[in-house]
Amino acid sequence: MAVLSRRLRVSVGDPGLLAAFALVAGVLLIFVFYPAARVISYPALTEYLAIPDQARWIAALRNSLLMMLLSTGTATVVGFFYAYATSREDLPGRKVFQLLSLLPLFAPPFMVAFAYILMFGRQGLITRSVLGLDVNIFGWQGLWLVQTVAFFPYAVLIISQVLDAINPTLEHAARDLGATDTTVFRTITLPLARPGIAAAMLLVAISVLADFGNAVLIAGNFPLLATEAWFRIEGLGDLSGAAVVVSMLIVPTIALFVLERVWVSRRLYTAITGRGSRVPRPATPGVFKWPLLGFCLVVAFFIGIVYVGVLAGAFARTWGYDWTFTFDHWRLALAQGGDHLINSIKVGAGSALLTSVIALLAAFVTSRRRYGFERILDFLAVLPAALPGVFIGVGYLLAFNAPPFVLGGTPWILILALTFWHIPFGYQAAVAGMKQIDRSIEEAAADLGASGLRVLRDVYLPLLRGPFLASFVTSFIRAVTNLSIVVFLVTPRNLVATYSILSMIGGGFWGAAAALTTALLAVTLVTVTLARVAIGRGLRGLPTG
Amino acid sequence: MADVRLVNITKRFGPMLAVDDVSLDVSDGSFTTLLGPSGCGKTTTLRIVAGFFQPDAGDVFIGRDRVNDLPPHRRRTAMVFQEYALFPHMTVFENVSYGLRMRAVPAAETRRRGSDVMELVGLPGVGEKFPSRLSGGQQQRVALARALVVEPEVLLLDEPLSNLDAKLRVRVRTEIRLLQQRLGITAVYVTHDQEEALAISDRVAVMNHGRIQQVGAPLEIYHRPQNRFVADFVGLANFIEAEGMGDGTVRAGGRILGIHGRAVGPVTLVLRPESVQMRRQLSAGANAVPGRVAAMSFLGTLARYWVDVDGTQWIVDVPSPGDDVLSGDVFLEIPPERIHVLPEGGRQQAG
Repeated sequence: MAVLSRRLRVSVGDPGLLAAFALVAGVLLIFVFYPAARVISYPALTEYLAIPDQARWIAALRNSLLMMLLSTGTATVVGFFYAYATSREDLPGRKVFQLLSLLPLFAPPFMVAFAYILMFGRQGLITRSVLGLDVNIFGWQGLWLVQTVAFFPYAVLIISQVLDAINPTLEHAARDLGATDTTVFRTITLPLARPGIAAAMLLVAISVLADFGNAVLIAGNFPLLATEAWFRIEGLGDLSGAAVVVSMLIVPTIALFVLERVWVSRRLYTAITGRGSRVPRPATPGVFKWPLLGFCLVVAFFIGIVYVGVLAGAFARTWGYDWTFTFDHWRLALAQGGDHLINSIKVGAGSALLTSVIALLAAFVTSRRRYGFERILDFLAVLPAALPGVFIGVGYLLAFNAPPFVLGGTPWILILALTFWHIPFGYQAAVAGMKQIDRSIEEAAADLGASGLRVLRDVYLPLLRGPFLASFVTSFIRAVTNLSIVVFLVTPRNLVATYSILSMIGGGFWGAAAALTTALLAVTLVTVTLARVAIGRGLRGLPTG
Repeated sequence: MADVRLVNITKRFGPMLAVDDVSLDVSDGSFTTLLGPSGCGKTTTLRIVAGFFQPDAGDVFIGRDRVNDLPPHRRRTAMVFQEYALFPHMTVFENVSYGLRMRAVPAAETRRRGSDVMELVGLPGVGEKFPSRLSGGQQQRVALARALVVEPEVLLLDEPLSNLDAKLRVRVRTEIRLLQQRLGITAVYVTHDQEEALAISDRVAVMNHGRIQQVGAPLEIYHRPQNRFVADFVGLANFIEAEGMGDGTVRAGGRILGIHGRAVGPVTLVLRPESVQMRRQLSAGANAVPGRVAAMSFLGTLARYWVDVDGTQWIVDVPSPGDDVLSGDVFLEIPPERIHVLPEGGRQQAG
């Protein structure tokens, strides 16, 4: 007994820390675990058993997996060569290409589909007006193209990090030992990039499976799991059918996610070593350089027309017929969607702030390793990354429209859904940031009398401003551009811009939709620019090197 | 002021026994060093005193109080960390006064005590700078000031000099020692550098494998090590297996050597390199053995020779060698009072 009570006293420790721990555990259980459990437990077991009889769902499952294979394959291949090309320091226009591949990350996910309808659809600027063709972009081929363009930037981002981390000395050494240019690529670059390629494939595959915005705009009559959930609710009011469908969807996404966590991310770290002194990379031989440049130009064209298309759509009087310049669409867009845009910004800022604060607090308490079940919190904090937006949307719809937690009809249901969907980004950034801060700095503060939470305030909060800001910006952009969650949770009194854009496209108001999309894009780009300026100012005392 | 007492402290990390039944008295106002190779448990022991680790068994006393259950800042100790652990986002003064702010000391007093302690460590006028702008030696002093400002009764230092270059290390260690004597506070210091330990300590506790091998004044540790580990870790030593004859002599490799005191049975002789005198000719003194110079290395203040003696190699230091270089056959003379005799089984205490 004496031993037990002593151990209890020791382990409970600081009351502030205990309160923080309870708070983090509480919100994660209510806002991550509870809605997830609610979705899975909502349909009766017989409904799950009846899945094989539902031909449409089986088709949706098959189609979703097919699109995952197709789009992941092309997006990864394109992403790899684009990353390889832009990792060559002597590629002409390298900086521009790098910037271009980052742009889609700040755009609403459905923007590619929208722009491609404008460009390649039946009234497409390129297909009809320029080439005089009659092309139907709706269907799986269109979706394949759109998803490839929409998701290859993720692959570029991950693979670039790995390629940049490969010490150029290795290339020099291989050449010194007699390897030809193709041999260097085959025996050095490709094997070292392999973990990055694997990680990129898994991330893209999860994104493709969960893709709602592009699918809803361009897939047409091609059933997919992500859109099927929405049609169930929107068209049929079939909540439990939607729950079954999104539950089917999370089986492959969680499998991919687990694979990524336990298998790839570990290898990824071992690949990023040996930075040391940088020597310039050897010059890229002409046989490689010009084809790579040509490839980048083609890809850049496909990215470029996304922006050109939407921008042109916002100013052309009647798309496909009357190309005269007009501001009419802006008037309509701001009259109908101006409030929704402001609403988006409010919801986005609120959820991004909550995400960053909760993520930082969660990272702090899980790093204590004090109570023994931090691993469970850690799991709950990264779990939403494996959950598609439509799953979260259905989850919040089911969980928070009935007692004990009634949030339906308030903006809070939207804010909280977005907040907890984005927790993993903030959490992982904060955990990585904390690992860079020597533990003894915290001990020094504790030694001088700082209590548990005081350490957070005095040491971690100021030192983690960088990751905090990054987490805020990422969450904000993802929140204001989100469609997959908001379609389930908006109510007529709480509309947001992405939902309005979807309605405008559906109603044939392409010009207004393009104008509102442009305005939304402006919001995200201004946010990113401001954040870059803030970081560029050199936040005082951020740990360097 | 306070003394520190560790009573039968044990600490495990998983299967590893980091500290194994350590007891140690650190008297009030003394400077005690925990010395040992990395992984010997010295830092763990210090952290148990500081309160960062809970011992699995045993008690920690500071002054009259058992402090096992007190958090670090309630222990009247303050720690100087190996990497300094200065808060990079605070100015030097904010760093130094942090402990006072935590104790809600009024602003005016904080300013006064802060600048006093900055003066004390010889760093006036850098308060508004950020730590990253200071040199390594200055950062070290800031860390020292930050610990001293809360007026601890026990100052704990965890290899505080390991990030400084060799010359600065010597200077700063002297400053730390003078400061400790001036303030009269108790200090527990951790290092793996035996020279540093000998130079600044009142007492040295040599540790290995989580156990204390020997506690004593520097002279005692150096000249009368209790076992082979201590003799080997502190300074250089020649070890010679011998047989005690019980009459003030030992037999080593067929030769009889005189020693101080008596020894019976198998023993190990510890000979410091500088205790052996090397001559070209046999002189009148006893305890001489013939040898042959195998190698020499000139180190400025001394010349170090490797001399083959009866199939073993001895290290012999010749102080102040000048231009004189010995080679070939030599005689090694060993004053009996400089031979330290370890009884066989003078092995270290292992866990």
